[in-house]
Amino acid sequence: MAFSANLEMVDSEARITLEGELDAAVADQFRQTVEHAAQEKPQKLVLFMDKLQFMASAGLRVLVFAKQRMGRDVAIYVIGATGPVLNTMQMSGFHQAVYLQESYP
Amino acid sequence: MIQHSIPANLAALSDIRQLVTLACQNARLSEEATYRLALAVDEIATNIITHGYEEQGLSGRIGVSIERTDQSLTVVLEDTGAAYDPRTQSLPTAEDLDRPLEDREIGGLGIFLALQGVDCFDYQRSNNVNRNIFGMNLA
Repeated sequence: MAFSANLEMVDSEARITLEGELDAAVADQFRQTVEHAAQEKPQKLVLFMDKLQFMASAGLRVLVFAKQRMGRDVAIYVIGATGPVLNTMQMSGFHQAVYLQESYP
Repeated sequence: MIQHSIPANLAALSDIRQLVTLACQNARLSEEATYRLALAVDEIATNIITHGYEEQGLSGRIGVSIERTDQSLTVVLEDTGAAYDPRTQSLPTAEDLDRPLEDREIGGLGIFLALQGVDCFDYQRSNNVNRNIFGMNLA
């Protein structure tokens, strides 16, 4: 399934909805969306992952980029990650570094 | 054994995952194990394309062979890029994985996920061909 990353600014929140398969071929698309979000200087980054079917380490590296680009005071929320995508985040310790929620707000 | 030849570019990653996923489904591997194998193959294929070919100024193909026995499903990636044994990569430690994202090093995560995700992994090189071998138990 084709990948998409759509940014919506809601007040001081950057909300990005991820869909499809996030591999190294499309990770730069996600990175650019995060960069656009960072330019808005949000207080919170909310990533909706319930329609994300696959995430390789290239996607995890964009989460690292997001944190380093936005700063430690900008909390990252991951919403709706399930199954293997969630498992990948757990294997790599990312579940401890973001707020994992089933739904939002 | 099923054999395919895929162009070594990142756009072909989804084709490789599709081949692996289909073979896993035919072998009745669980969804969770299927994902782990597809992720492992994807991560190593990404390294082959990026570091083995593109960074060396090379182009080429990746051979994908899939073999099933009663006991296991084996995927072999073959390439003629730069020699690289993923097992020699220093992997993130438990301490590294506990670090906040802002303090994270970027490298090694893909190979960590690959090697952790499969039941067995081997690397061989002969006649200038790299062979990355992934195995999943079926029994």
